[in-house]
Amino acid sequence: MSTHASEITTKLQSLTVNRLGLWLFLVSDASFFVALISSRFFVYGTDTPSEINQFLGLGLTVLLLLSSLTAYRAEAGAESGNRTKMTRNILLTIVIGVIFLVGVGFEWYIALGHEVTWPSKPYGTVLFTLTGVHATHVLTGLLALAVVYFLKRKSIIIGPENSWAVEGAVKYWHLVDVAWVFIYPTLYLVN
Amino acid sequence: MNTKSISQILRTEWFLIGVLLLLTAIEFGVALTLTGALLLLCLLIIGLVKAGLIIQYFMHFGQLWKNITDIWWGILLTSEEEE
Repeated sequence: MSTHASEITTKLQSLTVNRLGLWLFLVSDASFFVALISSRFFVYGTDTPSEINQFLGLGLTVLLLLSSLTAYRAEAGAESGNRTKMTRNILLTIVIGVIFLVGVGFEWYIALGHEVTWPSKPYGTVLFTLTGVHATHVLTGLLALAVVYFLKRKSIIIGPENSWAVEGAVKYWHLVDVAWVFIYPTLYLVN
Repeated sequence: MNTKSISQILRTEWFLIGVLLLLTAIEFGVALTLTGALLLLCLLIIGLVKAGLIIQYFMHFGQLWKNITDIWWGILLTSEEEE
């Protein structure tokens, strides 16, 4: 086997191991969300206070779904060697993520204004814990995307053999999205 | 002339995001009209479908399956060589 072919084989093997490792981490992280989501039903049953802002929850959901699209396009850009598409979409994802965090902050501000959603009350405990843990994940996802953006912005080689960093950060971002897909109905829609 | 097959069109990210947004709208509508166990069941099904679409298409779950089979083949072939 030539040196070049050997290098490619080693890269593919390490990519396979990286992917498996990331998926194992994502599954373990998802199980944490499953435990938190199920706790909502033990703590507060299936009621949802009328003080909860339904349209804010819907808006946050739409934002995260859109950010998944831009993250996917960033990954596609990295794999096809399209630097502009990659960087533009990573930046868009970061911007949407920041807007999402501002929305969650606004949600907390509203929640603090009603007694039923105070952190010391059962529903408030659930609301602040679930959205807090999720927001922390969003924040770490944003950091990962920002690191990847600055690393890849001036990177010489972009292509399928050098896109693991983007792929890893984007997959983590999708996990954040999948978690919200279940958090949204659990906090806002169940009644 | 566009020669994309139906499966390619169905896999495009724009179609997928449209479906995800539509499912979210249905989810919202269902929560306004239904209550009780039926609502819980509908929300669970819609949530699972949305998560499934994201995992399968945005996260390339099929690619992971290929990686796992590759590793198994690697283990099997290596152990045969050792024998």
